[in-house]
Amino acid sequence: MSGISNILQIASQALLAEQLGVEVTGHNIANVDTPGFSRQKVNYITATPVVSPAGPVGRGVEVLGIERAFDPFITARLNEKNSLLADYRTRSAALEQVAAFFNETQSGGINDLLSQFFASWHDLADNPAGAGERQALLQKALTLCDAFNSRANQLVQERQSLLQQIGPTLEEINEHTAAIAQLTREIIETESDGHAANDLRDQRQLELSRLSELIGVQTYTTGDGTVSVALSNGRPLVQGIMSFDLTYQVNPADQVEVVWQGPGGTTEILDTSSLSGGKLTALVQTRDEIIPTYQQELDQLAQDFIIAINNQHTQGVGLTLFSQNKGTYQVTDPATPLGTSLPLGSEIVAGSFQIFVDRDGAPLASGTIAIDPSLSLNDVVTNINTHPVLGGLLTASVEDNSLKIVSNLASDTFGFAGDDSHVLTALGTNTFFTGDKAYTLDVNVWVLENPDQVAAGQIDATGAHAVGDNRNALALAELEDAPVGPDGLTFGDAYQRLIMTLGLEAQDAGNQETFYQGLVEQLTNMRDAVSGVSLDEELTNLVKFQRAYQAAARLVSVADELYQTLLAMRK
Amino acid sequence: MRVAMSTIFNNIQNNLQNLASDLQRINASISSGHKYQRISDNPVDVGAILGLTTEESQTVQYDRNLETAKGWLSVTLSALQDITDIVRASTGLANQMATGTYNAAQRQAAAQQIQGYLEEIMQVGNTKFGGQHILAGFKTDSPPFVEGGWDIQPPVMHLQSGSTGTAVAAGAYTGDTSRTYLVEVVTGGGAGVGTYRVSVDGGQSWTTPAVIPAGVAALGDGVQVTMGGTWVAGDRFSISVYRPIEYQGDTHNLEISVGSQSRLVVNEIGSDAVGGDLGSNDIFQILAQLKSSLEANDPAGAGASLERLRSFESHITSILAGLGASLDRVGLKENIYGTLKDELTRQISDRGDTDLVAAANLLKAKETAYQAALLSSSKVMGMSLMDYL
Repeated sequence: MSGISNILQIASQALLAEQLGVEVTGHNIANVDTPGFSRQKVNYITATPVVSPAGPVGRGVEVLGIERAFDPFITARLNEKNSLLADYRTRSAALEQVAAFFNETQSGGINDLLSQFFASWHDLADNPAGAGERQALLQKALTLCDAFNSRANQLVQERQSLLQQIGPTLEEINEHTAAIAQLTREIIETESDGHAANDLRDQRQLELSRLSELIGVQTYTTGDGTVSVALSNGRPLVQGIMSFDLTYQVNPADQVEVVWQGPGGTTEILDTSSLSGGKLTALVQTRDEIIPTYQQELDQLAQDFIIAINNQHTQGVGLTLFSQNKGTYQVTDPATPLGTSLPLGSEIVAGSFQIFVDRDGAPLASGTIAIDPSLSLNDVVTNINTHPVLGGLLTASVEDNSLKIVSNLASDTFGFAGDDSHVLTALGTNTFFTGDKAYTLDVNVWVLENPDQVAAGQIDATGAHAVGDNRNALALAELEDAPVGPDGLTFGDAYQRLIMTLGLEAQDAGNQETFYQGLVEQLTNMRDAVSGVSLDEELTNLVKFQRAYQAAARLVSVADELYQTLLAMRK
Repeated sequence: MRVAMSTIFNNIQNNLQNLASDLQRINASISSGHKYQRISDNPVDVGAILGLTTEESQTVQYDRNLETAKGWLSVTLSALQDITDIVRASTGLANQMATGTYNAAQRQAAAQQIQGYLEEIMQVGNTKFGGQHILAGFKTDSPPFVEGGWDIQPPVMHLQSGSTGTAVAAGAYTGDTSRTYLVEVVTGGGAGVGTYRVSVDGGQSWTTPAVIPAGVAALGDGVQVTMGGTWVAGDRFSISVYRPIEYQGDTHNLEISVGSQSRLVVNEIGSDAVGGDLGSNDIFQILAQLKSSLEANDPAGAGASLERLRSFESHITSILAGLGASLDRVGLKENIYGTLKDELTRQISDRGDTDLVAAANLLKAKETAYQAALLSSSKVMGMSLMDYL
């Protein structure tokens, strides 16, 4: 039916349609800064024409719907790269933190302290009787121990701080998966009338982006508006309108276990190495794989250091001999073999050591004690006490699960020499350092309180020992260049290798972060090219819709004039 | 390509951030003087710098050790040179006294002089360096040369032909100065027949002759002699009493580390170099015997001592040459370490220190870029269709 009323009909539809255009433009302008918003546009089509004798007559415009500008492929790639970016960003931050503890570009690093420590042994070798040299050596040793302790402590704390971030990260993941499931439910309900729920879909897309920054996921969208989110090993986090939570626990080996809370109360401990991408992966792997590697290396270095220094120190004597001596290491059980009951028991080999006894400062007697790793501490005590020469002069005992040796007479003192079994190192008898790893490394308190007991000299086969003897100090100083450990590196080299490995790993994570940052920026630009709001474009549209509205309004007044003319004809 | 609002502003922000971070890094490298602030800035270079720093610190330490070595060697050298000078003077004196032109009184005076030399050598031998006795081996805390107890020496015999006289010294000395008892047989014969007289000033004055006893004869101050056999008039023997100088140190060589796996012996063992061990080159014994010969007015004895003095001189000269060679080695090493230290410092600086000119240029370039970015950004940001509607 054509006619003036049709004109009015066309005008009113056009008015409504252009008004909608202004509304959508307004919505776009208002959301110019909203994260995840995709610009929307109204889909106009021409209304079905009516048949007339003149042929089909147009009936104006109709609104088909409001559509959002969205490219699912770019967005999927953006999420994927964002996931990797978040992984490397977290990893890089943690590694830079660790690298900062070992920042050897500033003075006072362990490398520097190691050099100073060995230099002090040289100084002592230059003046073996010097009290000042002894004090200086002990101070340098203490500073070095502190440096090792604090690095080890910082590594532990860094792991702790990473663990503290894992809980909140998992909570965030669970919130996002729950939100995705909830939004899916709302989308299904809203879209039951056949129209796309643009803003809800934008919100769900935003939740997916946020989720993929936290953990690497795969997303499958189905035709009915639902979305499935699964971990890289296939376990679903969101399935339709259901979501499954992740929790964590720390196992006895101090490793984080991520637990998937499946349907019907089923749980599954996820293999952390199967995680990929996202902040969570970086947190777990940095805490349980990367940092422990450095802890082990540092501990190994500290242990090699303790063993090497003590093996040499136990060969020597200080300016004065012992009237009593107590080992610094404890056996787990005095009746079990030393080889397995001491922290450094694996160092013990079959061999022997000598004890020399002085009376009133002059050599009196000596004896050799045979050692085998299968001996228990009780056996060693018995062997000393029943030794034909030493037995009457010294008394050995087990005190606090350590070896204690006391001379029987106040006029008698004793010293050690020629230990090729390393049992003195393992027992902590006549040692310089105590402890067995980076955190426990310390200077033997006995030596610290009695600087004269720093063993710069050695006892001759005759039992003679003199204050000017620097043989042991020289041997200790020369350990700086001695190869240690399986790779035959010096302490300095081994430490430098650790620093370089750490630096390279931090640098690599940083480079990857920069790379993915660039990639994400590029993909973001590509996404925004499709979905982003351009204010100038919207302003143009605004003017366009305004003009069209004005024209449609004009149509109404023309139709009105036509009616007026028609009505005036009857007067 | 559509350019969205967020694209423009994100790009502006990202680019400004990147430039600001570059500026910050360059500024930090200039203000700290270090090229690298973190080990991840350039792990390979940082590792290399650590290696070089270790090497530098070792070099500095070896250089310090060389100072100690030089001290020991120089002090030892100078002490032994002093001893050599004294020995030369003694040789000269012995040379004079071995000729027959000097009388007993002059030889007594020479003996006093030798005693003085002896004491001086002992003092020089007990030289300390940094509180340590340098000639004592490892026993640096006590003087290596000390006077022993009074010791009565075996008689030195000068018998006439046909004499079968024997003398055995005994007793415990109660005096307090070293002296030599010269005994001369006045009337030949065995115990109970022959007579003898004693002098303590080289024969300038004598005791009243006494009959040779069957048992011990007291010479004075507790010194005794048992004279056996048949004596001939004019037979002489002398018995010296002195405190021999003994070596109290040990025979360990003090080594100083002067390089990786390289040690240098910096001391001399007192008993080897000077004496006190009653060996062939014991200067104390040589001089004591010379002194005894002089006290006994015995030119032949002085002549024998002269030979031993000359042998000692060549012995100590070779030791001095060895010390000189060690000192040369120290000097050579010092030169090497000096060069090495400079080279290491240069390399560390090359790798780790900021090249200020390059950094300042870079800073200027970044600054210009930053300003250009700010300018263009503010222009882009200010543009909007709204201004024209």
